[in-house]
Amino acid sequence: MKQRQGFQFQIGTYMKDQMLLILLHIVCVALLCAFLHVTGYSNSGIVLIAVVWTLVLTVWLLVRYVSRKRYFEKMIDTMEQVDQRYLLGELMPDSCRMEDGIYRELIRKSNKAVIERIHAIEEEKTEYREYIEGWVHEIKAPITGIELMCENEKNELTRRIRLENRKIENYVDMALYYARSDEVYKDYMIKKTDLGKVAAEAVQKNKQYLIQSKMRVEIDCKDSAYTDEKWIGFILNQLILNSSKYRKGESPYIYIFTQRDENGTKLMVQDNGIGMKTEEKDRIFEKGFTGSNGRNTERSTGMGLYLCKKLCRKLGIGILAESKEGEGTKVILTFPVSSYLTEL
Amino acid sequence: MAFTIMVVEDEPAIRQEICQLLRNALYQVQEVETFSNAAKEVAEKSPDLVLLDLNLPGISGYDICSRIRQQSEVPVIFLTSRTDSMDELTGMLKGADDYITKPFQPPILLARIAAVLKRSAKGQKEQESPTISYSDVILDLARGEIARKRGESETGQKAECVELTKNELKILHYLFLHPGQIVSRIDLIEYLWDQQVFIDDNTLSVNITRIRGKLKEIGVHDLIGTKRGMGYYI
Repeated sequence: MKQRQGFQFQIGTYMKDQMLLILLHIVCVALLCAFLHVTGYSNSGIVLIAVVWTLVLTVWLLVRYVSRKRYFEKMIDTMEQVDQRYLLGELMPDSCRMEDGIYRELIRKSNKAVIERIHAIEEEKTEYREYIEGWVHEIKAPITGIELMCENEKNELTRRIRLENRKIENYVDMALYYARSDEVYKDYMIKKTDLGKVAAEAVQKNKQYLIQSKMRVEIDCKDSAYTDEKWIGFILNQLILNSSKYRKGESPYIYIFTQRDENGTKLMVQDNGIGMKTEEKDRIFEKGFTGSNGRNTERSTGMGLYLCKKLCRKLGIGILAESKEGEGTKVILTFPVSSYLTEL
Repeated sequence: MAFTIMVVEDEPAIRQEICQLLRNALYQVQEVETFSNAAKEVAEKSPDLVLLDLNLPGISGYDICSRIRQQSEVPVIFLTSRTDSMDELTGMLKGADDYITKPFQPPILLARIAAVLKRSAKGQKEQESPTISYSDVILDLARGEIARKRGESETGQKAECVELTKNELKILHYLFLHPGQIVSRIDLIEYLWDQQVFIDDNTLSVNITRIRGKLKEIGVHDLIGTKRGMGYYI
């Protein structure tokens, strides 16, 4: 049986708890023996009484020990089996002891208060999330307006405005996807997705920034995957932005391609940028992590890749980064094959 | 004949800009002001395509779409700032042909419109002519070649022609579409990115040099001029 953490019902501790009772009995036996001795009772009789007394006490203590141990073990077992441990108060075994009843009532009340508090917080959180989502949808209208105005009136100034507008759009998207990342299952449409099309749209979305950064992009995605187009588009968008943010030298380059093997379809985003130190590579998916790159080049929030990882986990996609400092980075997204879906 | 597109969108600024964008792309545009009558207007004016916003005051785009579907098979594209998958699914079930979320890239909107129109106009001829000519150069888009007109002296002899790469073809096509104008390098690059050719400034210069070389092969000199600091022109 596996070792339980925390409190355990042990005989040593139990005896310590019963120390007062044992002392009381010792005092009583001693007093009785002294009294009997004074009244001239035979010594053998006194010993017999003491031994019988001790035996009765020992049996009583043992029986109590076993019954209490059973009671608590049952409770601990119940606790380990249930999902919502805060419901323990409702599941505590019946006991005729008054103390157990009082504890049970107290635990029940305390848990009830916690549950109420949790509900209130959950409600607040939902409300907040709904507000954020609503807000994001509201702000998308003016962003679209600006984008269209700039398209219809192309010049140097509107090009710069579009660049900034695109940044706003990206931050807004991050807020939306962050608000939704806990409930991906509510907004999820798995279908056969042409990865090349998704990649091309993500690149086109960022064309102002990429052209300004003098990036070259090549897309070679012949494979498709069963996934949600919108979420994968968001992830690709973050990866593309990262690649151009951490570019290096005269001819920065992004290569987006797919590969198929027995484990599934791999979508890779490779660049020839500044890369990362090995010790930082494993931490890039952590929330708020801005490595030396993030601090040295442009502003970095440490949110982009964290969100990517979180979404990937929810979508069942593997995400992995390979990098060498000074030579570039390759991020690999793995879409596992489902034999059921591919047979259809 | 130009296609007619009906725009049903409540935000005046966006409606105005979408209409402008569509007019610039040589479509005819009809605006709808009273949204509750949108379905009726579609029936009366019979446009070739309807751009339909989902969140309209007083009525939902879904309802309008269902009503349109009761009377006609006109292609409908939903515009929305909502990005839930459920919305997309509902839109498709209501009979929409495509679904675009705001904010969108205007070229992507135009591309989707063109795609839907192409699908709906089954038997109709392709709008774009497969060849464009400027002065005495013919650009064959279907075969990816340039050739030179031989004039009157042509005696059945096949014109010399040179094959172009995909990128060169697209660059030349854009220049041919804007004869007499100075096309700035950035405009050209943005156009190419919209066409999924993601090249940088240097690669553009290399491509232009190659095009000039190929033009020389068919005996055309100085077709593409360079305006220093501004761009190219033909």
